[in-house]
Amino acid sequence: MGGYGDVQMIDENGKRADGRTAEEIRPVEINAGIIPVADGSAEVIWGGNHVIAAVYGPMEAHPRKIQKQDRAVLDVRYNMAPFSTTDRIRPGFNRRSREISKVTAEAFDSVVMTELYPRSKIRIEIEVITAEAGTRCAGITAASVALADAGIPMTDLVISVASGKINGVVVCDLNKEEDNYGEADLPMGVCANSGDLVFLQMDGDLSPEEFQIAWDYNMGAIAPVHELMIDALKRSNGGAE
Amino acid sequence: MATPPVPELLRAHLNQLALEDQRLDGRARFEGRNVVVETGVLPRAEGSARVTMGDTIVLAGVKFQIMTPYPDRPTSGGFMTSAEVRPVSGVHWEAGPPSPEAIELGRVVDRGIRESGCIDMEDLCILPGEKAWQVILDVFAISDDGNLFDAFATAAMAALRTSIIPGERFDVGEDRPLPVSKTPMMCSYHRVGGRYVYDAVRREEIGGGERIHITLGDDNHVHSLQKGLKGAFTAAEFNEIMEHARTRCAELRDLINN
Amino acid sequence: MTDQSALGGRDGRGTRLVTPGASLGASEGRRIGHGIVVNDGQMIAVKLGAVVESEQEISILPTHTRYTPRPGDLVIGVVEAVQSNLWFLDINAPFNALLPMSLGPGKSEFGGARHVLNVGYTVLCRIQEVDETHSSVVTMKGLGLRRVDSGIIEEIPPHLMNSLFSDGAALKLLKSTTDCRVVLADNGRMWIDGSPSSISSVISKLERVRTMSRDISNLDSMIEVIQAEVQ
Repeated sequence: MGGYGDVQMIDENGKRADGRTAEEIRPVEINAGIIPVADGSAEVIWGGNHVIAAVYGPMEAHPRKIQKQDRAVLDVRYNMAPFSTTDRIRPGFNRRSREISKVTAEAFDSVVMTELYPRSKIRIEIEVITAEAGTRCAGITAASVALADAGIPMTDLVISVASGKINGVVVCDLNKEEDNYGEADLPMGVCANSGDLVFLQMDGDLSPEEFQIAWDYNMGAIAPVHELMIDALKRSNGGAE
Repeated sequence: MATPPVPELLRAHLNQLALEDQRLDGRARFEGRNVVVETGVLPRAEGSARVTMGDTIVLAGVKFQIMTPYPDRPTSGGFMTSAEVRPVSGVHWEAGPPSPEAIELGRVVDRGIRESGCIDMEDLCILPGEKAWQVILDVFAISDDGNLFDAFATAAMAALRTSIIPGERFDVGEDRPLPVSKTPMMCSYHRVGGRYVYDAVRREEIGGGERIHITLGDDNHVHSLQKGLKGAFTAAEFNEIMEHARTRCAELRDLINN
Repeated sequence: MTDQSALGGRDGRGTRLVTPGASLGASEGRRIGHGIVVNDGQMIAVKLGAVVESEQEISILPTHTRYTPRPGDLVIGVVEAVQSNLWFLDINAPFNALLPMSLGPGKSEFGGARHVLNVGYTVLCRIQEVDETHSSVVTMKGLGLRRVDSGIIEEIPPHLMNSLFSDGAALKLLKSTTDCRVVLADNGRMWIDGSPSSISSVISKLERVRTMSRDISNLDSMIEVIQAEVQ
């Protein structure tokens, strides 16, 4: 620890190195229906992150032992492509990917109406094409759009965003440079309409006051991203306004 | 849209179409889909390309690492290809360790490039016996509607041709373009309805038979061949597709080199 | 000769597209159709699609959805697995359907199921029953139910079945303009039989309609595609 006390991540006007204010998220672009062979798909370009998601199903779940008698199984795979980071990532599942896949599946289990498709499986494939801090959040957001695009019944769209702390200052949606000096990370997955949380992780060190600010920043970022999701789904599905 | 799993009916229909020299999507026997090549699409890779052929979409990314040269070739760098066809790219691609088909894809693409000698391995040497560049080519499928082989091979060459060796980041000299002296290209043929067609879509692959992949370098030198799946072919059939491959590889080469 | 009733009795333009989670206001005693749930009297959309509402009923016409089997549906199935006295059919639903030997197309000895219908064969059948976990049993006993051994099967998004093909007018147009035999099953599969070139013309029309069908305000133009004479 230490060593970043002299790094000025926020200037005297409250602007960050990339010109954002503390509560501002990076530029976000969302497109749906980008994988022609998938039942539903989406891409989220969030700052320097580029994440794609495909949904297949619901379909017969194989092998039989993974079937749930009363609902569909959400089979989520989060993966980082080998060329997504500066140092090449060796292909294959690792513990980090496995954990993110698990919590992502559990987030969607709360909104997808899995009870309509007992014994079946819905595949959610998340691939990080380019990573720049915050890929799990971008992945959940992309998967949300892909699920809706696939016509999967769900009670809400989930949007995920993280806030953190650099040099004692709480900021929303850390970029790569900021993340390198990050002292805390609070990613949340929030249902756009109900405001319920379905995904929550945290690591680092936040005082009660800092925690509240980080929480509020995350909540404040939900609505604008939700608008982009709706817009993406309407564009690819020809909704007339 | 998922492809309906109708092998018997599909095969019969493909046979019917073949009798009238037609294809499922109206293309001529040796007509390829439109190929779109975009380079510089992956900011974290030192060279990259995205290739779209109909509903087939793939990425290729080139990364560099520093390796210790093999003792028997102390002045040579390395080249490695890895193909990933993850379940994102189609309902028929399963999760888990790379399937034999994905491994075959990577190896066939690798051989065509390696054997053409388009990358000068000696040029990758930094310090003889101690340090050399290893070129790692990752080809990655996004959407599989057939003929991943050609899509991968095309994306691979486009990515290599635009790669920059990151000397500065590794503190071993200046950044410089990776010299790629030749442009080997691959053409793939599938037996569909009894005869060979070029650039099969997924449904033709499902309802078809064996396949042949030909990689030709500049001056039509043959660098790699692969016959896959169950089936046999005659010398006359091979000559016919080889003839077509010579023309088509040249066209694809022009596409990449521009 | 565009048949307005093929549009499901509504204007194709000006549709309101909603996304999952969208609030649709109070239900006010209306019948709640597909794609909507009611929570404390408030309606919430659970599917991406267009809101279809009348004074009595409100529902969502989804842009994409999975087929759910209902008893009596005519379906096109493909044999996925054979056991000694039953077949498992892929019917484009989230789960395979069961075709017991007793409801199969012909008599055979125990263990001879494979000789009657092998893996990869396509059949026209009807949903006999569906249990509470959505597993379904299909039958081939009935008029016109049989093995399909010529032509080709195409998939139609189920929502297109509800809009474009709902009253048979568009299907009639398709048959009359292409010289093909066309059977539209309830599970989003279409059996097309005819000469290879006429089958190709149906496929190309369907391909165009499918591309357009992502835009649900396009029903008029879809009918024009179906109607167009083949060059």
